[in-house]
Amino acid sequence: MKTRLAIVLVAAVALLAAGCGGKGGGNAIKIGMLYNMTGAQASLDAPSANGAKLAAKELNAAGGVLGKKIELVAFDGKTDAATIGNSATQLAQTDKVVAMFGFSDSDMTMAAAPIAAKAGVVFVTSGATSPKLPDQVPEYLYLACFGDNVQAAAAAEYSVNALQAKSVYLLIDKGMEYTLLLGKYFKERFVELGGKVVLEDNYQTGDKDFSAQLTKLKGLKAKPDLLFISSGPDDVGTIVKQVRDSGLTQPIMGGDGYDTPLLVEVAGAGAENVYFTTHSLIDADLGTDAVKKFITAYQAEYKNAPENAFAGLGYDTVKLLADAIKRAGSADPKAIRTALQATKGLAGVTGEISYQEGSRIPQKGVTVILVKDGKFTLAQEVVPQKVPTP
Amino acid sequence: MQPESPRGGSPSLPSRLAGPAVSLALLAIILAIASFFAGDYLQRILIIIGINTILVVSLNLSNGFTGVFSLGHVGFMAIGAYTAAVLTLPVSLKVVNLPSLPHWLQQLALPFLPATLIAGLLAMLVAFLVGLSLMRLKGAYISVATLGFLVIVQVILVNWDQVTRGARTFAGVPPHSTLWNVWIWAVVAVYIVWRLGASAFGRDMRAARDNEVAALSLGISVLRSRLLAFCLSAFLTGVAGSLWAHFITSFSPKSFYFTQAFNIITMLVIGGLGSVSGSVIGVFFITVLSELLRNAERGFDLGVFRLPPIYGASQILMAVLFVLVIVFRPAGLLGGREIDVRAILRRLGAPRRGKGAA
Repeated sequence: MKTRLAIVLVAAVALLAAGCGGKGGGNAIKIGMLYNMTGAQASLDAPSANGAKLAAKELNAAGGVLGKKIELVAFDGKTDAATIGNSATQLAQTDKVVAMFGFSDSDMTMAAAPIAAKAGVVFVTSGATSPKLPDQVPEYLYLACFGDNVQAAAAAEYSVNALQAKSVYLLIDKGMEYTLLLGKYFKERFVELGGKVVLEDNYQTGDKDFSAQLTKLKGLKAKPDLLFISSGPDDVGTIVKQVRDSGLTQPIMGGDGYDTPLLVEVAGAGAENVYFTTHSLIDADLGTDAVKKFITAYQAEYKNAPENAFAGLGYDTVKLLADAIKRAGSADPKAIRTALQATKGLAGVTGEISYQEGSRIPQKGVTVILVKDGKFTLAQEVVPQKVPTP
Repeated sequence: MQPESPRGGSPSLPSRLAGPAVSLALLAIILAIASFFAGDYLQRILIIIGINTILVVSLNLSNGFTGVFSLGHVGFMAIGAYTAAVLTLPVSLKVVNLPSLPHWLQQLALPFLPATLIAGLLAMLVAFLVGLSLMRLKGAYISVATLGFLVIVQVILVNWDQVTRGARTFAGVPPHSTLWNVWIWAVVAVYIVWRLGASAFGRDMRAARDNEVAALSLGISVLRSRLLAFCLSAFLTGVAGSLWAHFITSFSPKSFYFTQAFNIITMLVIGGLGSVSGSVIGVFFITVLSELLRNAERGFDLGVFRLPPIYGASQILMAVLFVLVIVFRPAGLLGGREIDVRAILRRLGAPRRGKGAA
């Protein structure tokens, strides 16, 4: 029994050692891809990974980059910080990737990016929108998406200019960094534009009953013109439904957490007159040409339409890195970082990406979407005039 | 840390120390080799094994020895992690990330060891206060009550913005945990639990677990022995929380919830409740196996064809394995017994070679 145990242990260690032995890649440029294919983040991360793989396939079909193929070395982060740390270490050490990308969440990004930075390779997050992220990992952490301050500013400007809103009710999920920051930035810009906050209330991720908040809201003497509800993808349908069921008809505004099929599925007719900011309108009829092309390619590859804008973000991130490698003229991690910082006007599915000197958050337009007849329709493309500091 | 308490026993002192000495020497050699030759990845896995060892061994003290099946120990881990992280966070970061911290705390940045000790002591204090009432409960009621404790800790972490940053990421914790300091704590934890288990206190605990009425009739204070185990266990879990925080360096309250709680309990149950060496084996078994499967699920070349990646397969395989272990070895891999290093040494004939318990 004990000898057997010892043999099993030795065999396991040997396998583990073999597992981290490098596989000679030869003529490919290795890029590390980290997404949570399982766990709570999978609904955002799995489409991103599919988009990224599609981009790599297209690049390779067109002859690759610098005459070499792009190879995505992927790990499943399992929505677990320790696993993500291990995976990032393997990518840096064993696979010797020249850059890493992935994740749609700040926590997850922060578990991987410092390890990439230590190894001297960039980490580009495709979907984590916290504008505070780059400061946490100096030099090496880039965003491929806009920051929450940008989308919140766009939402505030659209509310004031297009919806003529003068007063707002704020409901914020205080269980997430994302919803807290989004609400804070929206309030800042909305007040700056002369708007008034009639009431600010909050709830906790996963709450199912909002009657307490709604009673308070309906008891207000001054009725707000607009309801800004800062919510994540899992709760948004439930909240919107309960707001409408309680008889409130004002426009509802939110962020890219609304960009999920759940909004219309759960809220049904209640989702009408809901506006939200997101990265791109992924719609075969109403989207831009780049979006239409992307949808066709995605449909052909995976037999279903892109699930949400995060698929487009994954796609754009690989194109962004490929573009940087091409301009760097080599797959040297340092040269890639310099070239990435110099990215100017790179067209993508989710808008144009440019980095300004000293900033690692791209200047990107924001898409405002209106739900009409149960479908996402384009309300306006907004480039905010002024953005709150992170 | 713990003074060696010399007791009169049948085997002579050198002979009694042979097992631990061989185990320690072996461990030191492995760590030395790892710190010089192994890359970051293997070192990370060894650190994770070390931290998990502390967590599981200390949980064993409560769940295995006294039969108080706590589901809430991750709450102590959270207390340890946040306490130590708030104490060691550099002042420049505190001013930015925790602006509403009391001034004296904001201007304070402690070294790793005192912060870890304070973290453990605070967890222990909380355990004492909670334990005073909880340890009077029985069986499943204790489990449910400790689960309630975990929920309370979670709610406090999420709502105490000024100190914990609420649900937001607590980032920038200095990466102080190394292979060496983690394993020194692991050895200390194993030693404390092992010695306590073999002491009169340990026998009291097991007596209270196996038959409470009989234990009471023999004059054993069930409450006292349970409370002692619970507090000590919370101290070690708090220490492990600190080590974990300084290893992962950025986390949020959801890192310390049901997923983590069940991870630790699984390792404990697979290894075998009530056995210190079982805990260590359980940690080793599960950590190494899940790493292996995680690498395997990415797909590999079988020469003839390439197996595609099947994400999530590792979790399914692990679950199936757990079911098999529970079916065929219901008491865990070691079934509550200890690995007797001395017996192995004797059987091997040469006292220099052997596979240590820890």
